[in-house]
Amino acid sequence: MTIKGLAKKIFLIEILKGMALTLKMMFTHAVTRQYPEEKREPFPGFRGLHALVRKEDGTARCVGCGLCAAICPSQCIHVYTSEGVSHEKIVDRYEIEVSRCVYCAFCVEACPFRAVVLTDHFEYAAYTRDDLYMGKEKLLSNWDRFMAGKKGNEYFEKFWHPLSSDFSASGNQAIFKKINSEG
Amino acid sequence: MITVTINGKKITLEKQVTVLEAARSAGIKIPTLCHHETLEAFGGCRLCLVEIEKIPKLQTSCTIYITDGMVVHSETERVVNARKAMLEFLLINHPLDCPYCDKAGECDLQDLAAKYGPTTGRFAEGKRTHPESYDDPVIVRNMERCISCTRCVRMCDKVQGASAISMVNRTSKTFVEPFSGKRYDCEYCGNCLSVCPVGAIMSRMYKHKYRPWYIDKNINTICSYCGVGCSVTAQVKGDSLVRVVPEMGKGLNKGLLCVRGRFGYDYVNSSARLKTPLIRRNGELQQVTWSEAFKYAADRLRDIKERYGSEAIAGIAGGRCANEDIYIFQKFIRGVLGSNNIDSIANFSYAPAQRFFERIFGQGVTANSIQGISNSDGIFVVGGDPTSINPILGLQIRAAYQQGIPVITVGDTPGLKRFATCMLKPNPFTETALLVSLLSELKVKKQFLGGNSSFERLINNISALSMKEVEDICGLPTDNIASAVNMLSNMTNPSIVIGKDILQRTDGHINLLLLSAIMYLINGRVYLLSEFPNEQGLVDMGCLPDMLPGGRPIEIESFKKRYEEIVGLNISSTHGLSLSGIIENAYTGKIKAIQIIGENVLSNIPDSNYVGKAFSNLELLIVQDSLMTETAGLAHVVLPSLSWLERKGSYTNLERRMQFMGKAVEGDGLEDWRIISEISKMLSFDMGYKGLEDILSEIARVSPLHKDITYNDISGDECIWPYKGEPLRHGVSLEGMDVPDIGSLLKKPAKDRVYAVFDKELFHPDSLSRKSAAISSISPEPCSRVNRALADRLSVSEGDYLNISTDAGSIEMAVKIDEDIPENVVMIPNNFEGKGIFNIMQWKLNPVLKCPVLDGNEVKLKKAEARS
Repeated sequence: MTIKGLAKKIFLIEILKGMALTLKMMFTHAVTRQYPEEKREPFPGFRGLHALVRKEDGTARCVGCGLCAAICPSQCIHVYTSEGVSHEKIVDRYEIEVSRCVYCAFCVEACPFRAVVLTDHFEYAAYTRDDLYMGKEKLLSNWDRFMAGKKGNEYFEKFWHPLSSDFSASGNQAIFKKINSEG
Repeated sequence: MITVTINGKKITLEKQVTVLEAARSAGIKIPTLCHHETLEAFGGCRLCLVEIEKIPKLQTSCTIYITDGMVVHSETERVVNARKAMLEFLLINHPLDCPYCDKAGECDLQDLAAKYGPTTGRFAEGKRTHPESYDDPVIVRNMERCISCTRCVRMCDKVQGASAISMVNRTSKTFVEPFSGKRYDCEYCGNCLSVCPVGAIMSRMYKHKYRPWYIDKNINTICSYCGVGCSVTAQVKGDSLVRVVPEMGKGLNKGLLCVRGRFGYDYVNSSARLKTPLIRRNGELQQVTWSEAFKYAADRLRDIKERYGSEAIAGIAGGRCANEDIYIFQKFIRGVLGSNNIDSIANFSYAPAQRFFERIFGQGVTANSIQGISNSDGIFVVGGDPTSINPILGLQIRAAYQQGIPVITVGDTPGLKRFATCMLKPNPFTETALLVSLLSELKVKKQFLGGNSSFERLINNISALSMKEVEDICGLPTDNIASAVNMLSNMTNPSIVIGKDILQRTDGHINLLLLSAIMYLINGRVYLLSEFPNEQGLVDMGCLPDMLPGGRPIEIESFKKRYEEIVGLNISSTHGLSLSGIIENAYTGKIKAIQIIGENVLSNIPDSNYVGKAFSNLELLIVQDSLMTETAGLAHVVLPSLSWLERKGSYTNLERRMQFMGKAVEGDGLEDWRIISEISKMLSFDMGYKGLEDILSEIARVSPLHKDITYNDISGDECIWPYKGEPLRHGVSLEGMDVPDIGSLLKKPAKDRVYAVFDKELFHPDSLSRKSAAISSISPEPCSRVNRALADRLSVSEGDYLNISTDAGSIEMAVKIDEDIPENVVMIPNNFEGKGIFNIMQWKLNPVLKCPVLDGNEVKLKKAEARS
C-alpha cells in the first residue's frame, strides 16, 4: 500500500466525495417520479388494456369474424359465435387472456370493423388470474371507462388505419349495410 | 408418349389429358373455380387461363388437351392480368361479407382474390341483392354469393343423378335454386354444398358456429350408417365436435356422401344419450355407479348360469359395434358364460345369403369392390333399392347407367326410376315366379344343357314357367320380361345387387337358389347390400351361433381347439340358437338372460309386440347402448357405451374392407369391450386387455382371415381381408338343397286385398337416424305410400292420415301418393317408435333361412280421424 492510499483511508476521502455529490444533488430537480401519487400521461398510441368498441346503440361492434384470434401470436383471444333467431351471427363470448397478451396489437390491425382496441390504461394489476381473463362485458366496460366519447375515434384515426375505411363497396351489400349506416 | 413443357418443366405423359391435369400431375398449380375432379370440364370461370406458344389467345387449361411439343406458361404477366380481370368481374356481384360468411378461410374465391387481387373494383353498379333462403331445414342458400360456376348443378345432375337444382335466370341475375324455389325436394345428399367453392350453399348444422381456422384436429373415421363405409373427417375444436365433413377424392366414396353420412352425425350429441349405468329396481331404472352395475350384472349372470345352466343365456350383437367389441362379446358369451347362443341381426338375411352362395360357389361374401360396379357390362338389381339402403353403392349404378350400361331392376326401386333400362315391377310377393321365368328363358337363350356338375343338374331340374303364366301371376307384360332376358343373356360380366327383401319371404330360400342359378348362367358378380356398418364384421368375428371368428364352422375340431388354446377357454361344440331361436325361447321361457350390445332389437325385428313379450319374460336383460332405445327401456341393466366418434375401432364393410375409425371427442360411458371385460373380471376371468392393440393381435392369431393384421394395415388405403390371411375354405356340398316346387308359385295374389310392404327409407333406414335432429327435421314423421287409385278409393289425399290395421295391431300414418307402386300395396317404413310396419306384423319365419318373413301381410285401411 502506498502512502497516498493510506492517507485516503485514514481521512475517508471517498466518503467525503460521495457526501459532496449528495449535497450537490440536493439543489437540483428530482428525476424519479413519486408513482403512484404522481402519474405520467402515456405517450399517444400507447398499447395498454384491451377494450371492445361499443356502438351508439349500446351493443358491441364486433361481428365475430375471428380474425383477431387468428392473427394473435400468443393465441390469447377466444371468440365463440352462434346463429341468432333471425339467422344473424351472434358473438356469445369474446374473451381475452390479458396475462398472456404480448401487446403487439395485431388484433387491432386485423379487425376489419375497428371493433377491438388497446387503450392507454395500464394499471390493471390484479390479485387473481381470473381478473385478467376478460369477457365481453368487461371488455365493453373498458371501452366506456377509457375510450368513451371522441377519444376512441381519434385513437383509431390517428394510430390505426383499418382497411374498412378504404373499402369502396356500395351500401346495398348484406354486411356493410349495417356498418355504413352507422357512419 | 406426349411431351409438353409447362413453365419450363418437361412433362411426359402416356395419355392425352387436359393441360390442367398435366400441370397438376407435375405439381404445378393452376387456379380454378368451376373445375372439379369429380365433374366434367366446364370452362366457365376462365381462371385457369394459360398462355400456349403459337396460340395467340389465352386458353382455358381445363378444356384444352395437350399435344406433343406444346409449350405452356401458366403464370406470365398476361395470364395474371387476365385472372385479375376475371376476379374483378366475379366481384361485381359477390358481396364482401367475408367476416360474416362461414366459408371465409376455406373459400376458393377469397384465396384467389388474395393472390391475384384486385384490391378495388371499377364497377359503379350496385351489387345484386338476394335474400338468404332459410326455407330448407338443413341447407341455407345465399345467392348473393353465387358465382355461377354450376358445380352444384353438375354434381346434382351428373354424379348424384337427382337433378334437383338448376340455374335460374340469365346474365348477372343467374342463381341456383331447387325447382320448388323454396325447400329442396331431393335426396339431401348435400354434395352440392361440398362442391360449392364459395359460401352460396352451406349446411345449417354448424352455421356461424365455427371458423375453419379454429379447427384443432381432423380425425379420419368411417360413417356409422350403412355397410358401404364411407370415409368422413370429424373436425374438432378443443373438446367439442365442430362438424363432420367428407374429404374430396378420399376413401371409397371419393368424397361423396348421402344424407345420413352428411347430416346424420348429430345423434352423437342427442339428448337420448345414456350417461350413467342404470339398474331396474322396483320396476324403475335407477342410476347407479359403474362398479355397482358391473357387480349386479355379474352376480345375476352367475346366478342364472348356476340355476338354469349356460344354455339359458344368450347374446345379441349389433351391427354398429366395432370388430373389437363383437369379438370380445362372442368370446365372453362362448367362453366365459359357456353358451353358443350368440347371434346378431346379420343372421336375418345377410349371413344366410352368404352361406347359401358359399355352398354353391365356394365364396359367398361380396368379393368385388364397389367401384367395380361401374366397370361391369350390366347390372341386375333385386330385393331392394340400393340408392336408399347403400346410397353410395347406388351412385355407382346410376353412373353405370349414364355410361350406357343396361340396368335391370326387380321390385320397387324408386331411386333408380330414371336410371333403369328395364324395370320389372311384379305384383307384390310374386318375385319368385318372375325369377323362375327369367331363369327358364335364360336357359333357352344360353342354350344351357346342364348336367356337368351337381349344381348344373339342379338347375336343369327346375321346371319352367312360361312367360304367359308369369304375365298372369306377376302382372308383367311379356315384352318386358323378354327384353330383360335379352339384356341379361348379352351380359358378360354383370353385377348382381341383392337386397334383403328378396330373402325375407316365405319363398326366400327358393329365391336365393333361383338367383344363384341366374348368376351361374350369366356369370354374375354378387353384391349383397348391407344395412349396418359392421354387418360383415359380425359374420367375420363369429357372432353367429355356429361359426367361430374367421368364418370357420364350430364343428371343425382343429380350428375349435386352436381357438380354445389361444383364448384360454373351453367352448361348447353344439350349435347355439339363432336370433329367431333366442327370441322364441325367451318367449317360451327357456332363455332366462340376454345380453345385447348396440342393437335396438325391439324396433328392428318384426314383430315388435312378440319381441317385447319375449323380453319381458326374461329374468335378466342387459343392454349396452349409447342411446336410450325401446330395448334399453325393457332392460334390467343398462350400461352406457361410447358412441361412434368417441372411441377407436375398426369396421368391415360389405366388400370386406377393414377400415379404422378414429376417436374425435370424449364421451360418457365405456367402450363395449371394456364393459364386457369388467363383467368378465367379476366372473373370475380376467381378459387382461390393455388396449385395442391387444384385442386385434388376438383376432389376428385366432381368425385365419385376419392373420397378422395390424392397425397399420387397417389405417392404410386398402385392407380387404384376407389381407394376409387364408381365404374361407370348407366343404362345399349341395346336399339337402331341394328343387323348388314350381306348382306352388302359381298362386295369384288376390286383387281386392291390400298388402303391407316394408319400405326401406333413405332418411330413416332404422331407429338410429331418428335421434339425429337434422335428419328428423328433413323427415319428421313416418309416411306411408299408396297408389292414387287406392287413395281415391279410400278418399284420402296427400297429408291425410291413414289408419292401417292387421290382427296384430294398428297404426296411424301420414299418406304420400306414389304413382309407381301397385294398387294393392301400401308401403310402410319402420323407423319411428311404435309407428312402424314391424308393429303390425306377425312373428313368422322362413323355414330354411330362419329369418323373419315380411310377405303376405294383409292390412285394412281407412282414413283416420282428422288431427288437430
